[in-house]
Formats: sequence, C-alpha cells, structure tokens
Amino acid sequence: MNLQLGVLEEMILIILLMKDETYGVDIAKEYESQLNQSISLPAIHVVLKRLEKKDLVTSKMGEPTAERGGRRKRIYQATNKGYEAAKYLQHKRSEMWKVIPAMNFVFQ
Amino acid sequence: MEGDSCNEFCISVNSKQYHPPAWADRLLNYFCRQDYADEILGDLHEAFYWRLKEKGPTKAKARFTWEVIKSLRPKNLKSFYHLSLNTMIFRNYIKIAFRTLLKRKSTSFINIFGLSIGAAAFVLIFLYAYQIISFDDHHQNKERIFLAYKERITPDGIQPTYDTWIPMKDRFLSDYSQVKEAARIYETDSRVIKNNQYIEEDMMYTDESFFDIFSFSLLHGNEKRVFADMQSVVLSSEMAMKYFQKENAIGEIMEIFLPDEDTILLYQVSAVLDKYPVNNSYQPSLIIPMESIPVYPEIANNWSSSFLETYVLLDRKESWMDLEAAFPDLIETLWGSEVRDNTNFKLLPFDAYYDTFLGNKNDAYTLLFIGFGILLIAAINFMNLSTAQASQRMKEIGLRKVLGAIRGQLRTQFITEAFVTSLFAIVLGLILVFFIIPYFNDFFDVSISFGMFSLLQIIAFCAILAIALGILSGSYPAVYLSSMKSIDALQQKMGFGGSVNFRNILVVLQFSIALFLITSAILIRNQISFMTNKNMGFDTESTITFVASAADFTDREQGIVRLNTFKEELKNKSYMTEVAMSRAVPTNWTRSFTFVRPDGWNGDPLRMRYTYVDANFFNAYSINLKYGNHFLPDSEGNQRESVILNEAAMKAFEFDPNEQNVIKIGDRRINVVGVVEDFNFESLQIEIAPTLIFHRTGEHPVHRFISCKMNMTNLPEKIEEIEDKWNELGSTNDFTYYFMSEQVQRLYEAEKRYLGLVTMFSALAIVVACLGLYGLTLFIIEKRRKEISIRKVLGAEISGILQLIFRDFTKWVVISFILSVPFVLFFMTDWLEGYHYRIPISWITFAITLALVFLLVIMTVGYQSLRAASSNPVNHLKDE
Repeated sequence: MNLQLGVLEEMILIILLMKDETYGVDIAKEYESQLNQSISLPAIHVVLKRLEKKDLVTSKMGEPTAERGGRRKRIYQATNKGYEAAKYLQHKRSEMWKVIPAMNFVFQ
Repeated sequence: MEGDSCNEFCISVNSKQYHPPAWADRLLNYFCRQDYADEILGDLHEAFYWRLKEKGPTKAKARFTWEVIKSLRPKNLKSFYHLSLNTMIFRNYIKIAFRTLLKRKSTSFINIFGLSIGAAAFVLIFLYAYQIISFDDHHQNKERIFLAYKERITPDGIQPTYDTWIPMKDRFLSDYSQVKEAARIYETDSRVIKNNQYIEEDMMYTDESFFDIFSFSLLHGNEKRVFADMQSVVLSSEMAMKYFQKENAIGEIMEIFLPDEDTILLYQVSAVLDKYPVNNSYQPSLIIPMESIPVYPEIANNWSSSFLETYVLLDRKESWMDLEAAFPDLIETLWGSEVRDNTNFKLLPFDAYYDTFLGNKNDAYTLLFIGFGILLIAAINFMNLSTAQASQRMKEIGLRKVLGAIRGQLRTQFITEAFVTSLFAIVLGLILVFFIIPYFNDFFDVSISFGMFSLLQIIAFCAILAIALGILSGSYPAVYLSSMKSIDALQQKMGFGGSVNFRNILVVLQFSIALFLITSAILIRNQISFMTNKNMGFDTESTITFVASAADFTDREQGIVRLNTFKEELKNKSYMTEVAMSRAVPTNWTRSFTFVRPDGWNGDPLRMRYTYVDANFFNAYSINLKYGNHFLPDSEGNQRESVILNEAAMKAFEFDPNEQNVIKIGDRRINVVGVVEDFNFESLQIEIAPTLIFHRTGEHPVHRFISCKMNMTNLPEKIEEIEDKWNELGSTNDFTYYFMSEQVQRLYEAEKRYLGLVTMFSALAIVVACLGLYGLTLFIIEKRRKEISIRKVLGAEISGILQLIFRDFTKWVVISFILSVPFVLFFMTDWLEGYHYRIPISWITFAITLALVFLLVIMTVGYQSLRAASSNPVNHLKDE
C-alpha cells in the first residue's frame, strides 16, 4: 500500500473512524478535546478534501440547521480504504516501535 | 447532544444578539464556490456560536474573520466566469459597442477623434504643468529648506533683496539651534582652460553642506566628503564627459580662470554628480568650495557687502517663525538699532523659489484648467451625439427592456460603450502625444517627456483618465436613454432625441469655454505685441552691444588698455555713429543699489539703483535729455561729482528741474547735471525704476559693455570685421554681441511661450467644439429632412430654410458669448494687472472673437445645411 498521509490527515481520518459519521465542526471539537490543541476549520476542510480525493472518505449533504444560518452540513464517513489505510499505518508504526531500544531514552 | 447545544445556542444568541461579522460573511459568500458554500460557511457559523459560548464574543468574532480569510483559498473560490459580474452580457455590450461604432462611422470618427484630441491636449498640458508644479520636488528636504534674504524698509516702500553676506552662514549656525545646516551659493561664470583655449562655463561657489541641504546624488565620489579638500571641483556628468570623455573623472586636474577673482587656479575633480531632473532651480555644472577663492580670507568676515545666497536647513518646518522673530536682535548686534528699524531678515521657503525668481506656477494651473476645458468640450460632443442618436437606437433599447433588461443594466451598457470609445480615444491620444512631444519641445523651447513617470504610472494614469472620461461622457446618455418607457421606445415616440434643452445647455457650455479661451488668447497676444512694439524710450533698431569687460582679461590693466584701443578703432570706422562704454545696458540693467538722500533731507535715505556710463552713452542709445546738460566729453576725465537722473528718480526726489539740485550719498555731495527722459530698461511688466547714472571714462574698469550706434547695412561683413579685431585682443571671452531689438524681444520669451500654449490649445478647443457642432448639424438635418422638404414643396426659398437651420446655432453662439464675457473680463483684468504698462480690454477684441466664431460656425454648419436646403424634396418625401 503506497499512501502519502500527513499527520493531520491521519489524525482526522482516525477521528472519522471513531465517529462513524461526522462533519467539520464536530471534527474540530473532537480534535480539540482529544489533543487539547486548537485547530482552524479551513485546515480541516482542506484535509477533508484531500482525503476525499484519495478515496479514504466519502461525503454526502445533511440537513440544514438554524445555527448554521440555514445551511446544510457536509457529512463525512471513512471508507473501507480509509480504514485499511489507517490500520496499515498503525500496524507499521507498532512494528517500528518494537524495534526502538527503550534503554536509550530512559534516562534522558 | 445537538439538542442541548441548540438550546444553549438559542439562549445565548437571543439574550446577547451576537452574530458573526456580516462583512466577512458576505465576502466569503460572494467569492466561495456554490457547492462548497454550505459546508464552509455553515461550519464557520456553527463554530462561531460554539466558540461564542466557550471563549466569548471577541475571540469568536476574531476567529471567524480569520477563518473566512483562510478559507479564501483558490480552490474554494468561484471561477471568474461565475462571479456575478456577468461576463456574458458584458461581451454582448462590447460587441454591440463595436457594431455601433462601425455602423455610424462619421459620428464615431467625431467622437473618437474629438476625444483623442482632447485627451492628447490634456496629456501634453499635464506633462508640461506637472513639470512646473513639481519644480524642485526632488530635493527630499524641500519643506525645511529656506533662503535667507533681507528687506529694506525705505520711504518709498519695502524692497526685498535676496543677496546676503559671507559670514551670515556661520552666524546662523552658531546663533540658532534650529539651523541644522547652512550653505552659501554664488553663481558666476568661469573659463575652463583646455589646450590654451578659454571655454566659458557656469560656475558655482558653495559649501560642502550644499550637498546635505539639496539632494544631488553622486555618480562617483565620496558622499561624506564631496570636496576632498579646498582644491576640489565637483562636475556634472555632462562636464565630465565634455572635458575628460568619461564619467569617472575623479582625480583629473582642471585649470580654471575665474574672471571675478582675476586668477587662474588648479582644481582636482573629487566627485561627479548624477543626472538631475530638468525642473530643478539649481543646475550646477562646476562646483568649487567657496573658501578656495584666494580673496576669501579677506572677505570672510565682511558684513558690508552682500552678494551671495544663503540657504538654511531647519530642524523642522515651523522653526522659521522663531528665527524670523529672533532676527531683529541679530541685526541690532551687527549694525545697531538704526539699521534694525529699516531692515528685516526673512526666510523664503524653497517652495516659493520658482514663483519668486523663475516664473509663475499659476500659469501651469491655468493651463491645466484649459486642459480640463478641452476634455470637457470633447466629452460634451460625445454626450450630445449619443443622445441625439438615441432615436436610432430606440428599437434596441425597447427590445432590451421588453426582454427584461432593468435600468441598471441599460446604464451599464451605455457606460460600457462610452468606456470603449474613450479607451480608443486615449490610446490614440497617447500615440498622438508621443509623436507631438519632440515638435512641442522644439517649438516652445521646453523639455517635457514621459521620462519622469514610470510605465506603471502612465498606465494607471491612462486607466484613470479612460474611466473618468467614460463616466463623464457616458453618464448622461446612460441615464437619459435608460429612462425611456419601453413602449415609447418601441413606438419611437420621442422623435428628437429627447431633452433638447439639456443638450443645448451643453453646446452653450462648449462654446462659452471656446470663446473664453479665444478672447483670452487674443488679449494676451495684444499685450505682448504692445510690449514689443512700444517705444522703449531708446533706440532699439540701430544699436549693437558687445560684451567687453576688463575682468575677462587675464591681466586687467592690459585689458583696459586693449579695450580702449578696440573702442578707438571702432570709432574710426566710417559706419560708426557713436561708440559708448557702460556698466549696464538696457534689457540688462543694473541691479546695484545705493542709499541716497536729496541734499537738505534729514529723513530716511532712499534706496536707489545706480550705474556707470561714459559720456557717449545717451547718444549711442538716442536717449533724450529732458532737463539740464549731458556729461562733459570723456576728455575731461571722470566726473565724479556729477550725476544724471532719469525722470523717475527726479520724481522720487521731488526735484524742481529748473533749480540746481544736489544729492548726498553718505556725506558726499553730487551735483545733478541733467535729467534724461524715462526709458524702459526692463520688461514693460515692471514700472521704470528711479536710477542714478554716474560718469566714468573708458579707462575706468567698471565698464562691461561696448554699445555701438551704427549703419546697419551690410551687417555680416561689418560684424566679421569687428570679430577679427576682437579676436586679436586676447580676451578670455568669446566675441559676444546682441542686437538691441532682439534683446527687447527676448524680455518676453516667457509670455510668448505662454501665448503659444494658450493659442494652440484654444485653437484645439474650438476645433473640437466645431467637430461636435458638425455632428450635431448632420443629425438635426437628418431629423428635419421631412420638414425641410415639405416647406420647400410649399414654396420656401433656400435662404428661408437656411435661416431656419441657422437660427438655433446663432442663438447658442450669442448666449455663449454673453456668458463668456464676464469670465474674460475677470480673468484677463487679473492677468493684465501683473503688467505695469498694459493695454485696456477693448470691445474690439470681443467683436473679433465673436466674428471669428460665427465664421467658423457658418463654415461648419454651412455646407451641410446648404446641401439640405437645395436638395430635391421629392427624394425625402417618398419613403412612406
């Protein structure tokens, strides 16, 4: 599997996997609560568009709500390919972690 | 969870009424791709209310704005095509605009040609006026530069003089903390010695601080030490090329003869100036340190003779008031309380230098107004022709309206058409200007160019001009044409292009401007021809003047002897009537002043000009003696105890010419031997100044000119003969001669240039106005064809029909004329007031203008009207 996935892309993909169905603001809220770090919506939108282009997520339009000024949500859902990609990355990462000799860093 | 947040959201919004910043919302809404808008805008809104709750309104708003700006990335934006400026309809407008232009070639030609002449004239005027208005602007410290000068308070008024003393600079620097820099400037002439030849060049003596006060950048040399030492000379790049054939002339040696100092000195080039703009008051070519002149140590502390200009650079602009308030005390310490009472020190802002010494910036502004006038006339042509044509486009307008075009769209369409036309016109105008500039510079002896602007500035200027012209000329037709009712438009009810009155007003406005310009040009011409033809009070026709100063000889004593031999030789020529030597000549009169009292007068002395002549001077110029006697012949020696006055001086002294009068300069008593009739030794702009004329024989070194009254036939041969004689003398000055008649003409060069400009642009104005009139005539005749034909069928004469057509035009011209008269009277009275000897504004001028314009109008309208009046009525009646 040959995938270029940035850190933010991976993070948002994981949030999508956690949530099943979600949209921009919800992702921002989740990101902030999980990582205790703020993120801007345009950054999320860019990442979502990129993920969608890579077929890792799909989207559909939701219903309009009042607090959105009567605008509809675009609801994102991770695809199987997305799940595979995230899992593959996680797997690879775990394998690599095992190789790290823990002693080297204990006393630093 | 969503339900909860909605409840809280509703409360917080309802109770505090916070909303995202509307402008940011709208901005994003306008530019954002439609398919992304819901997601992006919706998310941003939702996030706003979420943050409002968490972080408060200020942060939420800032965050919202920031996110809107970050969302404006290219991928999120609409394509240009989808922005709601609808390009498709614009393409249609432009297509229709071109079609209309091509369809009505004569009107299009009149429009575009008229507008392009207007634009060309405006651009030319702008370039010229800008050069004058921005005079000296390239000096960065301009605001803080002041010229120190003095005023003498005398019984006959306050006389400013701009020369100051050598030590004044140091005194200012030591006494006043507001003075940051000070520099003295003395401009004179010098001879650069090259291969044993003496070449005359302008020379400036100054201080090193000159380069700190004024912004002259160096091509070569050290900015910090422009004069490396006291034997340094700074050259302009032209001088470096001229004498050393290279720009980097640093270290080269120059041998310079300074006639004023009577010495030859060696200088080493220490810096070369970069090219400086032409609109610069100071155009230095050779600059040497003032301290380098040999006589400097002797005069360094001389507070008695003033001859140079002192400039100061102040810490800030406003300090000049403090300084002027402090000056009286300085005067008192220098010369005592009596001088304090009759002398002021003043500071002249460098901004005012141009107006004080070189010309008048108001002339430039006047020309700019003329430029606007011509532009307005051309724009009015466009307005009139577009509205007049309206009827021919009514079907189009009606159809567009029926198909749903709203007024705004129609307006946009007509403005677009005007814009297309004006863009064409301006491009054409610029091309015209480009070709005209060399001739313009040559003819008016000016040096304008596009060079002072960058390409970007020129493009921006043209764009602004095109838009302004488009709006100016397109707005009325747009408003007028779009306001028609669609049903009327389709039925073509408004037969004669609607609002005739407004159009007539515009025509009247055009002709008022043109008439105003023409009358003014004629008046200026009359004033100038009055000044050049008026009897100056001396003989201008048979006198030649040679520049002949003993100072121009490297050995002054020798020089005097040789000049006198030269004079004797001239006298012996059979064609010479009179040969005279003098310090000054008319048109190049003295600017030296002395304080003088009539004998027995104890009041303040008068400050009066004085000069020296020999006994033959008045005869050489045929200046008549009014009272008393001439000086005795030169053989009697210098008559130091005698003076001859001009009439103005006699009046100033209130002398009775029948008595023996005496004047006193200090304690010296001088007898008035005679009074000559007033003669105009300067431009007639200025009243004849009282002058004391003293006697010195040719053996005295004061003289600078030899004037010859002679038989002017076969002149070239005679001049050649005299030139050969001159070249034997060994003066460092080239043979230089003037004809008095030419010198008199030269006094009015500035006025003549102004006249030339005003005449040229008035002519353009009337041509453009007539062009418009021609177009309008074509149209009116077209509209009234049927009426004319019916009248003819019913038996009207050609003359009757012509009368019918001409009646309107006559009315317009007469109204325009009446309107223009008060403006001419007001502005020209003001202009003429600047001239002491001036013409009255006579009604004949107005009559001539009126006749001229009538003639032009008849010529413009005549041919087409005559053709219409004499055509066969049948041709125009059968089309229904």
